[in-house]
Amino acid sequence: MTTKKTKGDFASKFKELEDIAEWFEKGEPDIDKGMKKFERASALAKELKTVLEEAENKIQIIRSSNEE
Amino acid sequence: MHAFSVTEFLNLANNALRDFWDQSAFVVEGEVTDFRVSRGQWVNFSIKDEEGLLPCFMVAYKLHLPIQDGMKIRIHGYPRIYPKYGKFSFNVETVELVGEGDLQKALKLLRKKLEKEGFFDPERKRELPRFPQKVALIASTESAAYGDFIRIINERWRGIQIDAYHVLVQGQRAPKSIIQAIEAAQKTDYDALILTRGGGSLEELMAFNDEGLVRALHGSRIPTLVGIGHERDTSLAEDVADVRASTPTDCARRLVPDRGDILYEISMREQGIANELQDTLAEKQRIIQNATSQAINWLTALREKQSQSEERLEQLARHWFQTLEDHVESLTRFCGSFDPAFVLKRGYAYIEAHGKILTSVNTLEANAKIKIHLRDGARSATINKK
Repeated sequence: MTTKKTKGDFASKFKELEDIAEWFEKGEPDIDKGMKKFERASALAKELKTVLEEAENKIQIIRSSNEE
Repeated sequence: MHAFSVTEFLNLANNALRDFWDQSAFVVEGEVTDFRVSRGQWVNFSIKDEEGLLPCFMVAYKLHLPIQDGMKIRIHGYPRIYPKYGKFSFNVETVELVGEGDLQKALKLLRKKLEKEGFFDPERKRELPRFPQKVALIASTESAAYGDFIRIINERWRGIQIDAYHVLVQGQRAPKSIIQAIEAAQKTDYDALILTRGGGSLEELMAFNDEGLVRALHGSRIPTLVGIGHERDTSLAEDVADVRASTPTDCARRLVPDRGDILYEISMREQGIANELQDTLAEKQRIIQNATSQAINWLTALREKQSQSEERLEQLARHWFQTLEDHVESLTRFCGSFDPAFVLKRGYAYIEAHGKILTSVNTLEANAKIKIHLRDGARSATINKK
């Protein structure tokens, strides 16, 4: 099976997206920060969607040397 | 005739026994009796049937099943005469339980023992990561279970790396094969370790009740997910696992989320963030508008106040000037009453001599030149006599 390497760690990116959403839910008033966070969130969402839509699963079979 | 020494004879007998006994093909079956463990290292027991008794010896670490008198077992190993005491015994390498009843009995005993050691305590259960990136799959890669697991993973998720450790999942050699894979997997930073196989009878699934295997799973530093397909009672491997699945397919479902759900969640998060930002911007705009209109109101009020003040000031000034003017006028009138011209008009005169106004006759000598001032002019005169 072919492999397409995913950039970075899906879990940490998803967590970062969740953190940004939480930051907004808290109603932080800083517009500049808000704009930056919004841009970051859009980029993260795009990256995560790309992984889920385009990446492939990599399967490797390992056989022990003293098998059979 | 040949005379053997005792040792020579025993060696000959042992060689003959070894040559005759094919370890890979022969086993002995019988009922356990007189089972005992000495110093936690050596196991002695016998197996018997209706007519015979076979003494057995085994080292304790090779025994993975809790054996009790009365159980029917199958022993793998070789027969031997122990030269020092001339005792014939069967050297047991592995023990297998025969008969479902005995299997269940043994299983119950082992479960109780491991339970006491805290193997199944709920508080030691770890959670699997929500999005595993790299996992170890321990299964027979030739089994339907393996195929099912991979198929469901591919249906549900993308971007995962699966290292599939091919193992034997049935028979005497299965536990060792699986333990080796579990140990090998510990060297890599996997997010999860999955052990799975399809259904089978209790006897077929006995590998998953092996004490050594259960201990290896218990000692795994990687969170474990075990799913064995069966209809009755769970295996010890499943009970010790951090997460238990019912089948290989269920294993895959428990390992990865459905990407459709996650894509939806990402979109929801993204939309939520956009809405929050929009709300924040609208709120800021409202605050600015509010502040602007307040500033305008304040300025208007200030201007109005200023113009009222100006008017009042003008009135005050006007009033002040008027008072001043009236005062000046009355002063003027008052001062006017002291004007000599005003007195002359009434018929008075004054006399001037040498530029000075005279006020006494004593200053006037005979022949003094004087000037008499009247209403309409002045005339010079001379004093006749004193």
